[in-house]
Amino acid sequence: MSEFKSGFFVGGESCNGRVLVVDDEPDIRKVVRMTLQKAGYDVLEAENGEKAIETINYGENRLLLDVIICDIRMPKVNGIEAIAYFRQNYTRVPLIVLTGFPDTDMATALLRQGVVDYLVKPVEGEKLKASVARAMEQRELAHL
Amino acid sequence: MTIISPTMSHPQAENQGSEPAPTSPPMRVAIIGAGRGGMALLDMLHQISRIQIVGITDQNPSAPGLTRAQELHVPVYDRVTDLITHQGLNLVIDVTGDPAMGSVLREEVPAGADVVNGQTARLLWLLVQHESTLQTQLLHAEKLAGIGSFAAGIAHDMNNPLQLILGLAENLTDEMDLEAVHLQAHDIIEAVKRTTAICRDLTSYSRRASLRQDCLIGVSGKLDEALKIARYAVALQDIEIRKLYQPDVVVKGNPDELLHVFVNLITNAVQAMDHHGTLTLEANAMADATQIRVSDTGSGIPPELLGRIFEPFFTTKPPGKGTGLGLYNIKNVIHHMNGTIGVDSQIGRGSTFTLTFPGERNTQS
Repeated sequence: MSEFKSGFFVGGESCNGRVLVVDDEPDIRKVVRMTLQKAGYDVLEAENGEKAIETINYGENRLLLDVIICDIRMPKVNGIEAIAYFRQNYTRVPLIVLTGFPDTDMATALLRQGVVDYLVKPVEGEKLKASVARAMEQRELAHL
Repeated sequence: MTIISPTMSHPQAENQGSEPAPTSPPMRVAIIGAGRGGMALLDMLHQISRIQIVGITDQNPSAPGLTRAQELHVPVYDRVTDLITHQGLNLVIDVTGDPAMGSVLREEVPAGADVVNGQTARLLWLLVQHESTLQTQLLHAEKLAGIGSFAAGIAHDMNNPLQLILGLAENLTDEMDLEAVHLQAHDIIEAVKRTTAICRDLTSYSRRASLRQDCLIGVSGKLDEALKIARYAVALQDIEIRKLYQPDVVVKGNPDELLHVFVNLITNAVQAMDHHGTLTLEANAMADATQIRVSDTGSGIPPELLGRIFEPFFTTKPPGKGTGLGLYNIKNVIHHMNGTIGVDSQIGRGSTFTLTFPGERNTQS
């Protein structure tokens, strides 16, 4: 977990929310982080599904995480497997898929599993932020 | 190991009703004329197991068919009479179109041997040309059909840099730090270059195989190029790739066609492993032959199917997922290169496809 700062989620009451970005492309993680940080979110990164599972189970992350943005085509544990894990073990955390390959069947199946949104790269910053905001609302509703 | 060589027809073909029994002695054929027509005939007849080409001749010592004959180890004769008086000759094919040759043949060809010349020989050449054109078209059609399966890989590799470009460009609209502007503009330029490289690789691969003369091809470079293309068709991220290349191994052939062969073999190997396992690529130069191996640790091929995998339209993939022409076309390309293709496979352990070519001088020119 050395690539993640211990106690990274320090935004406390001032941050809009905490998002985990799972993508094997560092460039994608960088640009999503840039977009979301400007919108007031705290962002954690994971390079594949395996790292994402490690990350969510690390320290207090499992309590603090609000939204996961997940790619599909990744090495080791891919997006489908990671999403299945999150849906089973972290039902309170809304999921957004951000993929390079639009696949209608996959999108339908994932949305049925409870994924909040299925976004296809390249996605505009406003659309990404709107999607995260919607996911945040669902998360809050889950706590009511 | 099941080996399919240019001088051995496919086992299935041996049983077709109209074919003579496999035990029949080969038809012994002489070819007169080694221009384009003679060379095309030579290439085609050489692939048929029941035909033995006893020799070829041409009054022009630099005729292309004579060079090809030497590559195929077919005897080259200086004099027509030495060739056509060959013992046990069954057929003389004269593609010179020279009327004077007709009278020579009438006098010299031994009794019991037939002669094909004039318009009949021309018809034969036209048929050979037509067959060759069909094979080229089939290869191209199968290649284009395969590119359909690249969609996921292309979308992944195109849309990722596009996401970076869009995100950075959006950020630049209100970025006040000049140093950050410069860095992000540089990242955009690099992302555009990566996207352009994808288009260049794919357009190069999808073009029709060039008609240029065969040349010496560096095997390791071509295998690496094939890996770059194959990753659009299959996910390689969880595949361990072992490259066991001897330096400077070369084979003679058409580079575009060989690339297609390697892409197909690598794609098949990764699919057999269900995207997890070890892919081994080997290139070895031996004293009298060059061997290239593509091995996987996948599911293996059932023994009862091994004899059929090189048949046209044979596929184990679901409808719409495979043309059944991949290995058939590979076999044809390898045969044209005067090579053989063999396969070793064990259920649950994996498969190895071995390409063997006559030895070339193993330095790249």
